[in-house]
Amino acid sequence: MGATLRALRALVLLLGFYLLSLALLAALIGLDVVVFTWGHGAVAVKLALVSVLLAAPVVRGMFMLHTPKGEDGPGIAVTEAAEPRLWALVRDVAAAAGTRVPDRILLTGEVNASVSEKPRLLGLLPGPRRLHLGVPLLTGLTEAQLRAVLAHEYGHFTGGDTRLSSLVVRGRAQLARVIGQFHAKADGKVATERARQEQAAAKRIAKGKKAKQVDTTGSGATYRMMAAIYTAYAKLYMRASLSTARDQEFAADLSAARLAGRDATASALREIPVLSASHDFYLDSYATLGLRAGLLPPRGEFFGGFGKLLTAREPELVRHRAELPEEPASPYDSHPPIAERVRRIEALPADGRTEEAKGAALALLTAPEQTLAALEDAVLVDEVLAFRRTAGWEELLDASMAAGLSSAHTPLRRALAAYTGQPPTLTALLDVIDKGRLWQLAGKLPLSQEAAAATGRAFREFARPVMRGSVRTMVLAEFSARSLLHWEFSWSHPAAVRLSGRGAQATRDDDPDAALHAAVDAALADHPDTAPLRALLPPAAQPA
Amino acid sequence: MTPLLWILGILALPVVIAAVWFTGAFVKELFSPSPPGPDPAAQVAQRLGLLPAERQDTEHPAPLPDTWAAALDAVRGGDWQPAAELLRAVDRDWERRSALTALLGAAAAEEDGWLMDWEAARPEDPDAAVVRAQSTVSLAWELRGSLGAGSTTREQFDGFHRTLAAAREEITRAAALNPDDPTPYITEIWVALGLGCPHAEMERLWAQITARAPHHYGAHHAALQYWCAKWRGSRELASGFAEKAAAGAPVGSLLTVLPLVAHFEHDGSTDVAADGTPEMVARVDAGLADAAAAAAADPGRPGLAQLRHLLAFYLHLQDRHEAALEQFRLVDGHVDALPWRYHGDGAAAYYCQVRNETARAAAGRVTG
Repeated sequence: MGATLRALRALVLLLGFYLLSLALLAALIGLDVVVFTWGHGAVAVKLALVSVLLAAPVVRGMFMLHTPKGEDGPGIAVTEAAEPRLWALVRDVAAAAGTRVPDRILLTGEVNASVSEKPRLLGLLPGPRRLHLGVPLLTGLTEAQLRAVLAHEYGHFTGGDTRLSSLVVRGRAQLARVIGQFHAKADGKVATERARQEQAAAKRIAKGKKAKQVDTTGSGATYRMMAAIYTAYAKLYMRASLSTARDQEFAADLSAARLAGRDATASALREIPVLSASHDFYLDSYATLGLRAGLLPPRGEFFGGFGKLLTAREPELVRHRAELPEEPASPYDSHPPIAERVRRIEALPADGRTEEAKGAALALLTAPEQTLAALEDAVLVDEVLAFRRTAGWEELLDASMAAGLSSAHTPLRRALAAYTGQPPTLTALLDVIDKGRLWQLAGKLPLSQEAAAATGRAFREFARPVMRGSVRTMVLAEFSARSLLHWEFSWSHPAAVRLSGRGAQATRDDDPDAALHAAVDAALADHPDTAPLRALLPPAAQPA
Repeated sequence: MTPLLWILGILALPVVIAAVWFTGAFVKELFSPSPPGPDPAAQVAQRLGLLPAERQDTEHPAPLPDTWAAALDAVRGGDWQPAAELLRAVDRDWERRSALTALLGAAAAEEDGWLMDWEAARPEDPDAAVVRAQSTVSLAWELRGSLGAGSTTREQFDGFHRTLAAAREEITRAAALNPDDPTPYITEIWVALGLGCPHAEMERLWAQITARAPHHYGAHHAALQYWCAKWRGSRELASGFAEKAAAGAPVGSLLTVLPLVAHFEHDGSTDVAADGTPEMVARVDAGLADAAAAAAADPGRPGLAQLRHLLAFYLHLQDRHEAALEQFRLVDGHVDALPWRYHGDGAAAYYCQVRNETARAAAGRVTG
C-alpha cells in the first residue's frame, strides 16, 4: 500500500470515529421519536431520559477530541535555565532526528518517557509538544540509553512515510484517550459509589448491624457500555493500522540505533521492562513500606532509594535482562514483542559506539538530590506528605514492622477473643493449647473453603500452616512490644527478623529464629508441647 | 402507521399464546411434577434379585471379610488391638497385607489417635509403621482432593506436596522394619506419582517391588496409574506396561485386568467400536479365564472384584450380555471400582444403569 493510500485510509478511519458517534446519536434520537410517536406518558419520558443519559458521553466524546483537557500527570516542569544539560541532550537528539524540540519537559515519577502533542483541528494539525520523562527511568538508564529512548520517541514523528501515517498514530492515541476517559469516568463513578456504600456499611457495623455487601455493579454501566462500543471500533482501527504501527516501531528503533548507537539502543530495550518490574517492586516493598504506620523515608529517598535497590540487586537484574518477553502485550498492541525488537537491533552491524556516555542519566540533572526531593512534593498527595519522616531506612523498617505487629486485629487475636471471651494475649493462647483446644480455636479462623470442609487430620493439616504463621506473628509482636526485636534492613534481601537473645532459650541457642520455629512447631504438633515456646518468651510475658 | 400496527399485532398474537401456554405447563410441572414412568430395565434387574442404586456400597469393590470389618470398626472406636492382630495374622500374604494396610491407612488418615496408641505401645512394630506410612500418603491425597489440577487450589497442592514429602521417611522406616514386605514400596508409588518423580526413580522402585512380589495385583494397579498419560506416562507406556505384565503372569494372578484398565484410562471416545475390536475381545476372554482360575483358588482375593467389574462393563459393550450379567451378579452390591468409581457420587447410579441395560438385553435374548 502506498503512502498516499495509507494516509487516506488513516483519514477515513479517523473520520469513522465521528461517523460512529453521529450514528449513535441518530439512533438515540430515532428511539426518542419512536417512543413519543407511539408511546405515552411516564414510560416515554423515562425512555427519553435514559437516551439523554446515553447521549451525553457520546457528545462529550466528540468534543473530547476537539479540546482535550490538560491531562498532565503530576510532575515538575523544568526550564532550560534550571536543567541546561538535560535540555541540551533533548535538543541534540531532536535535531539529529530532524524534528521539533518539545515545548516543555516534565519530570514524572513513572518508569516512562513519552513525547506527546496536544493536537488541534480534530487532530489534523500538530500542537504544542511535551516530553514526559520519568525520574526512575533516569535513575536506571545510562546517558546513552536515555538518548536511545528519546531517539525512539522522536522516531515516531519523523521519516518520509511515517510523517503521513502520523495521522494513524495520532488517531490511535486519541481513541485510546477517549476510551480511557470513559473507563476513568466509569471507575470514578464506581469508586465514589463504593466509598459511599462502604461508609454506610462502616456505620452499620458500628451500630452492630450486619453490613450489606458493597455492590457497585450498576454504577458506571452506561459509561462502560459506551467504552465497549468505542473499544470495538478501536479494535477495527488497530487491526487496520497494526502492521503499519509495528513497522513504525521497528523504524523508530532503527532511527534510535542510528542516533544513539546500536548497543545503547538494544540495552535500553532490555532495560526498560526490568526497570518497570523493579520499580513496581520497589514501590510496594520499600517506598510505601511505612504508609500504614504513617511514616515516610527521609526526604528525597522516596524516589532516591530506587537507585540503591538497583545497585544492590544487580546480579538478579542481569538474569532478568536475559529473559525478554516473546509475546506482544495484546493482539492490538502497536509494539512488537521486545525480544523481536532486540533481535533486530542486535542483528545490525557493530558501530563501535559501545563505550559512549556510560554515566548515569540522573547525573545530567543539575542537582539530582534536590530534584528527587521536589518530585516527592509534586507526586505524593498532601495527606502522605504530612507523614513523619524517619531518619533512615532502618528506622522506617523497624517502626513500620513494629506498628504492623502491634495491630490488635489479626485474625488469630479476633478468633482467640471470640473463643475465650478474654483479652487475646499470647498466654491465653498457650493455655488454650495446653487444654487441648487448639483445633477448636483454629476452626474460628478465616479458612479456605477446602480447609473449612475438611475434618480430622485433614483439617489439622490445612489449618496448621495458617496457625503457624499467625502464632509466629503473635510471638514476634510480644517481643516487639518489649523492644526485644530488630529487623535487618537490606536492599538485596527481604527484611530478616533478629531476636535479642534475652529469653532463657535464646541465650543458649545460636540462632533464636530457628529456636522460635521449632518452639512454634512443638506447640502446634498433634501432641502439643508449649514448654519450648514458654521458655523462649521474654520473662514479663510468662504467666506468674 | 396504523396498518403496520395491525400487522405487528396479528404476528404477535400466536407468540403470546405460545408463551402463555409454555409458562402454564412449566408452572404446573414445577409444582406437581408428573411421576416418572417405571423403568422396564430396572424392573428386570429387580426380578433377578439385583439391588437398586441406593443399596449399593460405594466404599468398597467387594464385601469385606467379617474380621476386617470388625477391625476397622474397632480402630474407628479407638481400639487398635484387633487391627494389630489381624495384620500379624495376615503375615506374608502380601496381597492381603497391602489391601488391609490401605484400609487401615485410610482410617488413620481421618483420625490417628488409635495409631499413636499402637505406636506408643509397640514402638518397633513393623505393622504399625507400614500403616503409619500409608496413612500419611492417604492424608496427602485427601488434602489434594480428587479433582483435576485446574480445580485444585494452591493451598491443596501445598498440603499435598508437604505431606507426601513427609511420608518418605515413614516409608523408609517401614521398609527397614520388615525388609521382605513390598507394601511400603507400593505406598511409595503413590508418592512418586504425586511428586512427579522421574521414570528412572520409578524403575528403581519397581525393581524393589518385583524382587519381593513379582505378580502383586495392588503394585501393578498403582504402577499402571503412574504410567498413564494423566500422571507421568503416556498411552504407549501404560499399555506397554500392562501387556507385558499380563503376558508374563500365570493365569489366576488377576493381572489380565491391566490391559483393560490401560484401555479404559486412555479411551476418551463415546464410540463403542474401539471396545469391541478382536484385540479387546481377546483381552476380555483372557480376563474371564483369569478370574475363573483366581476364584477357584481363592474367591476372596483382593482385585478379583475389580477385574469382574471391568469384565462386566466390556462384556456389555461387546453385546455379550449373558456373560456380562453373570459377572454383574457376582459383584452386585459393591461398586467402588473402575469404571464406575470416576463418576463420584453418581457411581452407583451409573453402575445400575449399565447393569439394568445388560439385564434387559439378556432377558430379551432369552425370551425373544
